[in-house]
Amino acid sequence: MRINDRVFGMLMLILAVVYGWEATKFPIPFGGHESVGPETFPIMLSLILGISSIYLIVRPDPDEKWAPVAMLIELSVVVLSMLAFAWAIEPIGFMPAAALVVSFLSWRMGASIAKSVITGVTSSVVIFFLFNNVLELALPLGLLEF
Amino acid sequence: MDTMSLLMQGFAVALTPESIMFAVIGAILGTLIGALPGLGPANGVAILIPLAFSLGLSPTSSLILLTSVYAGAMYGGRISSILLNIPGDEPAMMTCLDGYPMALKGKAAEALAISAIASFIGSFIATIGLVILAPILAKFALKFGPSEYFALFALAFATLGGITGKNQFKTLMAAAIGLMIATVGIDISTGVQRFTYNTLELFEGVDFIIAIVGLFAISELLFFLERHAGDGLKQVAINKLKLSPKDIVKVLPASFRGAVLGFVAGVLPGAGASLGSFISYTLEKRVSDKGEFGKGDPRGVAAPEAGNNGAASGALVPMLTLGVPGSGTTAVLLAMLISLNISPGPMLFQQNADLVWGVIAAMFVGNLVLLLLNIPMVGIFVKLLSIPPKYLMPVVTLIASVGIYSVSHSALDLYFMVGFGVLGYIFRKVDIPLVPIILGMLLGPEMEKSLRHALVLSDGDWGVLFNSGLSIGLWIVAILGLVLPVIVGPIIRAKMKKSKDTVKDV
Repeated sequence: MRINDRVFGMLMLILAVVYGWEATKFPIPFGGHESVGPETFPIMLSLILGISSIYLIVRPDPDEKWAPVAMLIELSVVVLSMLAFAWAIEPIGFMPAAALVVSFLSWRMGASIAKSVITGVTSSVVIFFLFNNVLELALPLGLLEF
Repeated sequence: MDTMSLLMQGFAVALTPESIMFAVIGAILGTLIGALPGLGPANGVAILIPLAFSLGLSPTSSLILLTSVYAGAMYGGRISSILLNIPGDEPAMMTCLDGYPMALKGKAAEALAISAIASFIGSFIATIGLVILAPILAKFALKFGPSEYFALFALAFATLGGITGKNQFKTLMAAAIGLMIATVGIDISTGVQRFTYNTLELFEGVDFIIAIVGLFAISELLFFLERHAGDGLKQVAINKLKLSPKDIVKVLPASFRGAVLGFVAGVLPGAGASLGSFISYTLEKRVSDKGEFGKGDPRGVAAPEAGNNGAASGALVPMLTLGVPGSGTTAVLLAMLISLNISPGPMLFQQNADLVWGVIAAMFVGNLVLLLLNIPMVGIFVKLLSIPPKYLMPVVTLIASVGIYSVSHSALDLYFMVGFGVLGYIFRKVDIPLVPIILGMLLGPEMEKSLRHALVLSDGDWGVLFNSGLSIGLWIVAILGLVLPVIVGPIIRAKMKKSKDTVKDV
């Protein structure tokens, strides 16, 4: 199967066209046109990307297998958990958020629940004190502030 | 001699207690990073940049720290090659060939010690080479005008896939994507907004440090999850070290040859550390093989290790003098320089002589530290190797995100980091190399600037890009760099694979 490269090449071709087209729409800079404007370099890039995308569509490499659907869902959950961590770091605080996400990740990587919780809690507490007290970079306390 | 006195000044910087402390910390961290399979030097340095940055270290200290990490990672890569038969990174692959058989024969400790000595010789000789070659090249590079620089940047991208690169079009594509990301933001010379869609956060462009950590570290985590590699691998037990001076003397010639070859491979664009260790190994096999290579010959461990470390230091020559890195890790080091507001290139040796020579001297110090660390303390590193990735990777990810967060205390940076992680995962799935993307983001602004200068000076005549012998020469090398791998690449890759396969059969 050689689907991956074809699809990816197609996506990149769209990107190249949109990017190049937008570059031609840049407002004229103050002081009028010069021989090279802000659009020259982007247009060159969109040509390079376009040509290599077409090559990829015409002569794709053999595919590397994608993970089964179940794994892809799991990977998406992991990505979401990291995004949730990023969101939670300020309102909830660094330590609880980090403890949760590290425990979750290490559980998903195959550690037992008890051991992953231990990893999560210890690492987040150690890193918090290392950063706050030794390196003096303040991390948000969040809920633990009071 | 002028260089000597500058180097002595450098040692004055490198031997202050602060510098020595950073060199030692860097060496330890680097060895750890190199030893853990799947982390790799580029990754490790990338994770540490935001930390060095948010700690507010001085440029000299941060560079000393990160070059020691870089050197240490090269030392560390050999540990997993020898004990697990898994190279920590690609250049360490050739060390597996004789290192793992030695370990199977119950000589793991000897293999580790010999490779540490060879690594030391490799880095040491290559650093001397750096001292001699870098000022000459820097002086030469002062002749470069904008059109030569533009050609040089093109050359950097063309040769980045290296002689062993697979699909040149994918390298080009990756470079174009990286350069495109670099164009996002307010255009420096005209003030026009490009691709910002009026989003305030995009005005300053996309921060490459976030991109590096996302592309490398987060995508690595996703790959570990997918492969169910959380439990780690079984390693060969380590024995008590029995190394006589005679054994060391026996591997010295191999180490010297490897070091010189590695250095040359490191300096040349497009060759890099993988080729350095490969050439060193094959040459050594030709010179001194009596049927023992591939079965655990110490010289087969020494040659590629010296080559690999020689190439690592050699790769710093184009990075420091021209501002054009030759490998993934040097690209990451370049990111460090740029984010410290130091522009690498020929002027670096004049404007920041203290810094450059301090760092070079620190490389000598760091190497000595590494040698001293690695022989008696190798047991500790081996213990750490046995921590399964299922505990380690999440913690490493956490440290990476804390580093990113502490640069500007914004959750948005973390969203971007995760986004780049997902992109990195997809790119790796379709075999798009990540290093040209990073390099594109780093070199993009400079490359565009030199194109503009050249064209403005010539009043829009594109012929200016090819109007000097020097720039034509650079373009020819760039084209060769793109075309040669298509012809030579399959042959070399087949050879590397063949020698690797024969070991698996043992």
